[in-house]
This record gives sequence, C-alpha cells and structure tokens, in this order.
Amino acid sequence: MTTLRRICSTLLAAAALCGVFSLVLAPDALAQGCAMCGTAFIKDDPVTRAFNWSVLFLIAMPYTIFGLAAGWLFLAHRRRGRHRAEVIAMPVTRPVPAPATGPEES
Amino acid sequence: MTVGALTVPRRPVSTTPDVREPAVSNTRLAIVIVITAESMLFAGLIGMFLVFRLSQNWPPPDLPRLPVGITALNSVVLFASLVPLTRALRGARAHDGTGRGGVKIAALLGGLFLTIQGVEWLRLLAHGLTPGSSVYGGTFYLLIGTHGLHVLVAVVWLTVLAVLERRARRGWNSWAGLEMCTLYWYFVCGLWAVLFPLVYIY
Repeated sequence: MTTLRRICSTLLAAAALCGVFSLVLAPDALAQGCAMCGTAFIKDDPVTRAFNWSVLFLIAMPYTIFGLAAGWLFLAHRRRGRHRAEVIAMPVTRPVPAPATGPEES
Repeated sequence: MTVGALTVPRRPVSTTPDVREPAVSNTRLAIVIVITAESMLFAGLIGMFLVFRLSQNWPPPDLPRLPVGITALNSVVLFASLVPLTRALRGARAHDGTGRGGVKIAALLGGLFLTIQGVEWLRLLAHGLTPGSSVYGGTFYLLIGTHGLHVLVAVVWLTVLAVLERRARRGWNSWAGLEMCTLYWYFVCGLWAVLFPLVYIY
C-alpha cells in the first residue's frame, strides 16, 4: 500500500472514530443547540424554520465544494499514476537490423 | 543472429517523480480555485435568499411576477452556447481545426442572454419591482445581478479569445486560455441551472 493511501486510510478512520465518539458521548450537548438561536427564535415560527434550513445549507456547502475539488484532484492524480504504470509496463519491441554482409575474406 | 523483433525486458522505474508534466496543469488548478471561491460567494447569497424565501409570503402579492417563460427561453440560449465552445476546445486540443468559430458563437449567445436579461429587468423596473421596493426585489436583483456580472466577465473573456482566434490563422498555439475560459463558462451555466429554478420557479 502506498504511503498516500495509508495516510488517507488513517485519516478516514480517525475521522470516523471522532464522529462515532461525539455522537455516542454527547447526546445532551446535541440537544441544547445554539444559545443565541434558542433565545432569539420562537418555536414553530416560519422565520425559525427558514434560518434552520439556511444554516444547514451553509454548513454543507464548504464541505461539498471543497470535497468536490479535492476529489477531482485526487482522481486526476490517480488517473495519471495509472497511465504512467501502463506506459512503463508496455513491452518495447524494435527490429534488430540484419548483420552487414560483405565479400568473404579469402 | 536472427533478424526479427527483439523484446526488451521492462526497464528500471525511476524513483524520482516526473516534474515535467504535473497531473493537473497550473491553468486548470488556477481556474478551479477561482470557481471554488465564486461558488462560496454564491452559496452565501443563496443562503441569504433562502432565509427570506422561506420565512414570508413569497412572492408578495402586490409586486409584479417574474417572467418565467421568456427567461426559460433565455436559459436555452445560454445552455446552447456550451456546444460550440466545447467543440472549439476539443478542436484546439486535437489541432485539427474543428470547432473553429465556436468561441465567437458562444460569445454572441452569451451577449444575447445578457441583452434579453437586461430588457426583462427594464420591464420589471418599469412595473415597480426595484431593488429598494422590498426584500423580494432586493434579493432578486442581488442574486441574478451577481450572476449577470459573472456572465458579462465571461462574455468579455470569450470576445478577447475570439479576436485572438481570428488572428491566429493556423489555429491555437496554446489553448490554456481557452480551457480556462471554457471551465469558467461551464461554471456560469451550471450556476444558472441552480439559480433559475430557485429564484424564478420555486
């Protein structure tokens, strides 16, 4: 396994573990929400719902955009590496020139 | 020794990276960074629009309705400009002269899109939908106006490329600028595919 793949696997595993631990160990913290939003907005109000959707959209957008760009870069490098491997593995054939024939020495 | 083909065994692989040609060219990387930054700008504007759109009666009953039909036709004009531009880029990469004139056609179609948008805006202003009339007008002109500004920049860029293409009679010497402009045009058209349903239809 290449170093880059090993690093990516480690980072993914660490991110997954952090996500699992934060969900399992912090259920009370998740229920509290934002103090400003909790005091400023009325429950079941269209404005509250609108802000909720807008905040969710804005939270998702940086990860989506940068994830797409990073994914494209990753795939471009991978495609390039595969192409290089194919070029290197290609057998090279070249015709061997016929030996020069001249008058036989007596 | 026999005459024939000789198979050479696999040559040793160099451990030093090939620095002559990166996997992603600098021009592509630069325009992707610009597009990423512009996407974040529009994400903020769309987030702002969503707050107002979802929190009140939309559209307000006393304000003029947006011209959905004519703008839908205008959208077809914009998306149609992708075809000649893509053909021009492919022809430039292949050096076979196909798609010549595609940049000019894309620039003309982009200009037509902006002209029709401008005419519709003048009609809306005459009917009372101004940026200061309400949140409805303000968000509409801000969101669509920002997109229009990006289209204007792209049309100017396309026009410059069309002039350069006309001067280079034997084809493109370097198509990096054309590639960057084409990617930016894809972004502008993709953005309109999101903005039109969100602002005009939803």
